[in-house]
Amino acid sequence: MSWLADFFGDPANWAGPYGIPVRLAEHAGFCALALGLAALVAVPLGLLAGHTGRGVHLVTFTANAARALPTLGLLVLVMLLAGVGTLPVLVPLVALAVPPILVNTCEGVRGVDPDLLDAAYGMGLRGHQVLLRVRTPVALPLILLGLRLAAIQVVATATVAAYVGLGGLGRFIIDGLATRDYPQTLGGATLVVLLALAVQAAFTGVERVAVSKGVSRRVRGG
Amino acid sequence: MIIFEDVTKRYPGGTVAVRDLTLEVPTGEISVFVGPSGCGKTTSLRMINRMIEPTEGRVLLDGRDVREIDPPTLRRGIGYVIQHGGLFPHRRVLDNIATVPYLLGWDRRRARRRARELMERVGLDDELADRYPFQLSGGQQQRVGVARALAADPPVLLMDEPFSAVDPVVRAGLQDELLRLQAELRKTIVFVTHDIDEAIKLGDRVAVLREGGRLAQYATPAELLAAPADDFVRAFLGRDRGIRLLSFLPAAELPLRRDLVVAQGDPAPAGADWVVVVDADRRPLGWRAAGNGRLAGYGAYRADRDSLRAALDAALLSPCGAAIALDEDGRVAGVVTRDALDAALARAAADAHRDAAPAAGRSGEGAG
Amino acid sequence: MRPDEPLIRWDWIGRNRSMILELLVDNIVMGLLPVLFGLLLALPIGLACSRWRVLYQPASGLLNVVYALPSLALFIVLIPVTGLAERATVIIPLTCYALAVLVPAVVDGLRSVPDHVRQAAEAMGFTPLRRLVQVELPIAVPVVLAGMRVATVSGISLVSVGALIGRGGLGGLFVTGWQLRFPTPIIVGVVLVVLLAVTADGLLVLAGRLLTPWARARREAGEAA
Repeated sequence: MSWLADFFGDPANWAGPYGIPVRLAEHAGFCALALGLAALVAVPLGLLAGHTGRGVHLVTFTANAARALPTLGLLVLVMLLAGVGTLPVLVPLVALAVPPILVNTCEGVRGVDPDLLDAAYGMGLRGHQVLLRVRTPVALPLILLGLRLAAIQVVATATVAAYVGLGGLGRFIIDGLATRDYPQTLGGATLVVLLALAVQAAFTGVERVAVSKGVSRRVRGG
Repeated sequence: MIIFEDVTKRYPGGTVAVRDLTLEVPTGEISVFVGPSGCGKTTSLRMINRMIEPTEGRVLLDGRDVREIDPPTLRRGIGYVIQHGGLFPHRRVLDNIATVPYLLGWDRRRARRRARELMERVGLDDELADRYPFQLSGGQQQRVGVARALAADPPVLLMDEPFSAVDPVVRAGLQDELLRLQAELRKTIVFVTHDIDEAIKLGDRVAVLREGGRLAQYATPAELLAAPADDFVRAFLGRDRGIRLLSFLPAAELPLRRDLVVAQGDPAPAGADWVVVVDADRRPLGWRAAGNGRLAGYGAYRADRDSLRAALDAALLSPCGAAIALDEDGRVAGVVTRDALDAALARAAADAHRDAAPAAGRSGEGAG
Repeated sequence: MRPDEPLIRWDWIGRNRSMILELLVDNIVMGLLPVLFGLLLALPIGLACSRWRVLYQPASGLLNVVYALPSLALFIVLIPVTGLAERATVIIPLTCYALAVLVPAVVDGLRSVPDHVRQAAEAMGFTPLRRLVQVELPIAVPVVLAGMRVATVSGISLVSVGALIGRGGLGGLFVTGWQLRFPTPIIVGVVLVVLLAVTADGLLVLAGRLLTPWARARREAGEAA
């Protein structure tokens, strides 16, 4: 435990371009960017696949395939082939974040009660209205779950990506391991854990707020 | 008015769900499509609002082929109620009811005001307006479903087994509510059910469909009971057709004997074996045999609104086979003797046979 | 990386066959043991949670939290306890991840047993233990198996991250490739990890089919219809 005191107690670790605040901002920024891009691609695709029923097998296959791919291997390969720079690192980050969002969004939309859809069409809603006004709100819990899982994936992958030159909190871990500076390594790991917990809490909070109480059945009394 | 013209629905695998259906649903009446599973009743209903398209033939709504109208537009002018309600779980009750008005572009305030009116109309407590569907009971959810269908005041209402998923007591209440609403609103309603008793209770006209999607008979409930078109319809109607037919004959014309009604301490008139004893308010206390002071139980019916069946039932509940007739305040209006009742029943049977004569050449089971 | 470097240098693969094999075996062990341990732990935990609902909320809350933590961080935290470059350092966190997937799977699997089946078994005189082993668990197999597939596939690929602390099975090939700046080991590693995962997945599916002959009949009926 004195290791933690050593690391967090040292003011040098808090200042400068390699200090904790900067690294934290880098890590969070990169993750947010990757997650945003992944969501931009995966949410509409998932909604469409779930609504039209086309491409569902492809979606499932993609999710299963992504689970088998080793993140370190992917990062190292891409960086080796693409050269140095932060942009190439985004590719595997986004690529690994897309499947959880895609499959959960698709499943969420597909899982909507058929009776509900029958009533919606029967009342005269058009296809896109049914998707946006009925299927999406009801599927929201699963969509948000997919986003949460993707966020966790991105935070973890970005940590490992420090090995191939990305900044962020993983740098403390990788640099610490290289220089046998265990306080730094442990400090980095602790920071990553805290960030992951914060992300988890944030998404759980969003789920609570964004999902209609009628869907989550979370109303007192009744 | 809704017209089915030789409508057939054939599915790619070869199944024929509806075969050559031709009938006319009159404006402002409830027409019930009834039959066993696989008879095409729901399929036929769903061809009216183009949820299903006919393979042959056409469906006309007020003279226009429904295929000429863009489906969502068509459906916004038709109310649609399904078995489990299909309420949007993510919207509160008030917003659920206002769904079609919102779609039609109504001003939000006007739509919600209309929704509240309808809640009152279908018998829902105003405090339920802000609840979510999952907080409501099955019966309440169905009422919301009906209110939602009525929100934009469509002239036509399609109801697909709307009361099948609730228990019998709640179902009876909902059926009565529907009849009350219809008396006020006079919509053109097509109602699908598998329950023949529900069909007879609700329908102004009933279409009995058989497996394979063919129409067996389309008639008023009384005609159906008196003269079933064939063995299938007869079997589907079930037992006690004759007695159920009595539900459609009014008891208002039964002759009433006032002299058999006496007050508490008074003597019975000469020649009477039994008299009805009433209190100071002219409400019934019971039957009293001549020469015997004890009071016996009684059955009573409302002379102004009940049927012959209720009168017969009341007669069976009394010790002497006569029925007590009450007025709308619950006071004894008179007594229908056994002879008078027998005469009325005989007349009813003769009428039924006369009306039935050309169609059915057979008498029912237990003839004699 | 040199610009004219080919993607795969087959001679390198030939020369390093034994190392690759050693890493493969290490990956298999470190990928499968966590799932096994996870299952052994998840069964009693899942049973307790399905019997006493009140336990499930906190248990799944805790497991969700653990699942959210990046594997590298967990490896690092364990180093003072289990040592650098040790199997245990990798296996313990992976077991926790497996638990996070398998406990809900066990709970959901037991929940999927229809109530009337459970009551019929009780009425016929099954003791609670027999009921569990002969009725409830067999019916729960499909759901639990699905969880095991997820845990196994992701476990096998997660092992490679351990290379950063010196024990990563086939992940060692990724480190080699990066340090020596040529793609052959990396590609070999990725291919082998994926093949390993797919094979393990396939074997589990097979095991599932064998364990649930009653579901096979329904499958065949479904395909015939």
